[in-house]
Amino acid sequence: MSTPAMSAIDLLEDLPSLPPRDGADRRLRALDRPASRRRPRLLYGIIAVAGAVLIGAVQMGLSILTTQSSYELSALTQQQRTLDYQKQVLTDSIAGLSSPQYLAANAAALGMVTGQQPTFLRLSDNAVIGTAAGNNGASAVNALTQAAVANGLVAGTPLVNDPTASLTAGATVADEAIAASAAETSTPPAIADGLPTPTTH
Amino acid sequence: MTTRVTRSPRRRTVVALGVVLLVLSLFVVRLFDIQVVNAAEHVAESQKLATGAKQTLYGARGEIVDTNGTVLASSTTRYDVQIDPTLAVKGIPKVGDDGKTVKDADDKPVLVPWPELADRIAAVTGQSSADVQKIVADALAKDASSQYATIKRYVSTEEYRALADLKLPFLYYDKHPARTYPDGAVAGNIVGFTGSGGEPLEGIESLQDQCLASEEGSVTYQKGADGVIIPGTEKTTAAVDGGTVKLTIDADLQWYLQQLISEETAHYQADWGGIIVMEVKTGKIRAIAETKTVDPNDPGASATDDRGSRLLRVSYEPGSTFKPVTAATAIEQAGLTPTSSVLTPDRMQFPNGAVINDSENHPTENLTLTGGLVQSSNVAMSQFGSLVSPEVRQQYLEKFGVGGGDALGWSGAPKAGFSSDAKNWDNQTYYTTTFGQAFTVTPTQVVSVFQTIANGGVRLPAQLVESCTKADGTVVTPTEPDPVQVIQPQTASEVSQMLENVYAQGTLASDINIPGYRLGVKTGTAQVPDGKGGYKDGLYVTSLVGFAPAEDPQYVVLTLFDEPKTNRMSSANRSVFKKAMMQVLTHYRVMPSNQATPLLPVTQ
Repeated sequence: MSTPAMSAIDLLEDLPSLPPRDGADRRLRALDRPASRRRPRLLYGIIAVAGAVLIGAVQMGLSILTTQSSYELSALTQQQRTLDYQKQVLTDSIAGLSSPQYLAANAAALGMVTGQQPTFLRLSDNAVIGTAAGNNGASAVNALTQAAVANGLVAGTPLVNDPTASLTAGATVADEAIAASAAETSTPPAIADGLPTPTTH
Repeated sequence: MTTRVTRSPRRRTVVALGVVLLVLSLFVVRLFDIQVVNAAEHVAESQKLATGAKQTLYGARGEIVDTNGTVLASSTTRYDVQIDPTLAVKGIPKVGDDGKTVKDADDKPVLVPWPELADRIAAVTGQSSADVQKIVADALAKDASSQYATIKRYVSTEEYRALADLKLPFLYYDKHPARTYPDGAVAGNIVGFTGSGGEPLEGIESLQDQCLASEEGSVTYQKGADGVIIPGTEKTTAAVDGGTVKLTIDADLQWYLQQLISEETAHYQADWGGIIVMEVKTGKIRAIAETKTVDPNDPGASATDDRGSRLLRVSYEPGSTFKPVTAATAIEQAGLTPTSSVLTPDRMQFPNGAVINDSENHPTENLTLTGGLVQSSNVAMSQFGSLVSPEVRQQYLEKFGVGGGDALGWSGAPKAGFSSDAKNWDNQTYYTTTFGQAFTVTPTQVVSVFQTIANGGVRLPAQLVESCTKADGTVVTPTEPDPVQVIQPQTASEVSQMLENVYAQGTLASDINIPGYRLGVKTGTAQVPDGKGGYKDGLYVTSLVGFAPAEDPQYVVLTLFDEPKTNRMSSANRSVFKKAMMQVLTHYRVMPSNQATPLLPVTQ
């Protein structure tokens, strides 16, 4: 245990000895009189205070801006809410207009027919495949007067080209109408307001 | 070496440091406890005590769309209008044109009386003013200091805004997520509907709720005195919207077929009717039309029985539409060909005592297997079918799907299948199973049988849901059972050719002929059990099922009537089948066959 310690001391003994100190070079000595206090530099003070004021001002400015924008944000949120309501109202108001039964009823009101036999023209020999009944054929389904596929969203909505007509509401009513019309197709409709006459000018 | 002098202050320092560290670690533990362990509790408490507010954010329930993306169901918002009766009857100060309160001679505000306010409310909600006043009067009669009564539930956003614009301080509005169905009853039987509280009740709405349901979120914030959110206090947990369910249904085709089946069902005065269209090469159901169909916008308008899908909940004895299965079995197991023939009287007593009749009288003839199908002869099919052991026949029926349910997983799907196994079949059942009696199937299974025959003998699972697209864009496709090779491609092709001959040579040939196309069809007039062990007299479930174009089948169409009255046989289905098939072919722009059906001999 003592061997390493001994060797350390041996090493110390090998160091060259320091030169003797001169008395005149001593660093610590007694002062004749206390040193006069140096006046603090005004500039630094000004910078520090100005800096603090500046920081405070900037912070206040930022705070004002944030508050300001939070009001703007609030106004915009309000505006967005109003627009969301408007969008919802408009979406609700057009819902169902694109439904197939409404489109088909409109098409039927315009005199369009559907469900025709497919007819093909074979180019190689000009042969017409299928019956060329085409535009004279009756519609396979009656999308307007016997509309059977209900849609609560467009029930009562007038058709585009025929404001007096609309799809009736509810499947039950339509089905009954169909059953009634199927049962007595040969019976002419009752005359309510005299014989129908064409409107002329 | 340390001396006593140096050791003492160092120890003190160490002890002091230890104490400081101990206190510090206590603080750390406490901080951890406050910030992490019990954080939620403290945040909640702070919101409760401070000026904070918490709002629930509702995610939108997902849409249900058809195969082309047409929206069949989407979300909207409805409002409950509530009133404070005590406050309402007091009236409100009248506001002049200048925006200031009008005052009388005594400098008191002039009040607008309650009946006048009730008029204004009623004008918006569509109720009568008397109704509105009655609601308030009733609430006050019950409790003189009542502060709560409901004027109207589930009003639209438009009405809600109109009411809000009246600026009546005693009205409150409760927001409800609700559903709207732009196409109404188009596929209403499949789409289903939700209850008034938004809970799914029927159809896909209920079946796919896991995909459609949204997750609620919340926003917490602190408000200043003027109601403005204090910057930096807002904390949002976003709501997650529900996923979009895409169906295999084609809404336009679906509408046409619904309109069609409705007209035809009324014409033949059937109890109800239905049409199913399936894509041969995918098993996807493109339309599933039936009468009557619920309008999900107003399910209350339909009778309880009409609110679901009958087609997916009914099972019946298929009758003659299963004769092709017998033909396929006999071809594979008894080595028959479409021209194999058998002597067929219109009534026949078999060795085991069973008696089988044909539906129409005819002279005894030597019918081929093709002829058995063309003339839909029970006697011929019984003879051909009994060449194969009943166990094998049952195996084949099972491979074609009988008793195996379907892949749709529909709620309330019927239990269909054999009432007894082959070894227990009685003498009559031994033969009737060759023409679709003594076991029940669902309409979807009948369609699948024809899909199998049209698809080279490979049965694909019937499919109604294409995919679920989650809010983050992930697409989840449902896992379907594997396709099954039911019969050999050669057998399928032979059966298909025979079915073509039913179309070309059967009694219905001229009625369902679609020029330019080759079709394979089969009729079915199935007896309906009367519930007393017998069959109803003169009432049938009639069906006509077929595929086109036969040389490269694309679509299977099944039409079905339950107990038609003006024409009680399967011929009732001719016009509806022709119109339905024609619409399918034109809708999907299926090219004409451009070739004639190869005719096979009916008799020999």
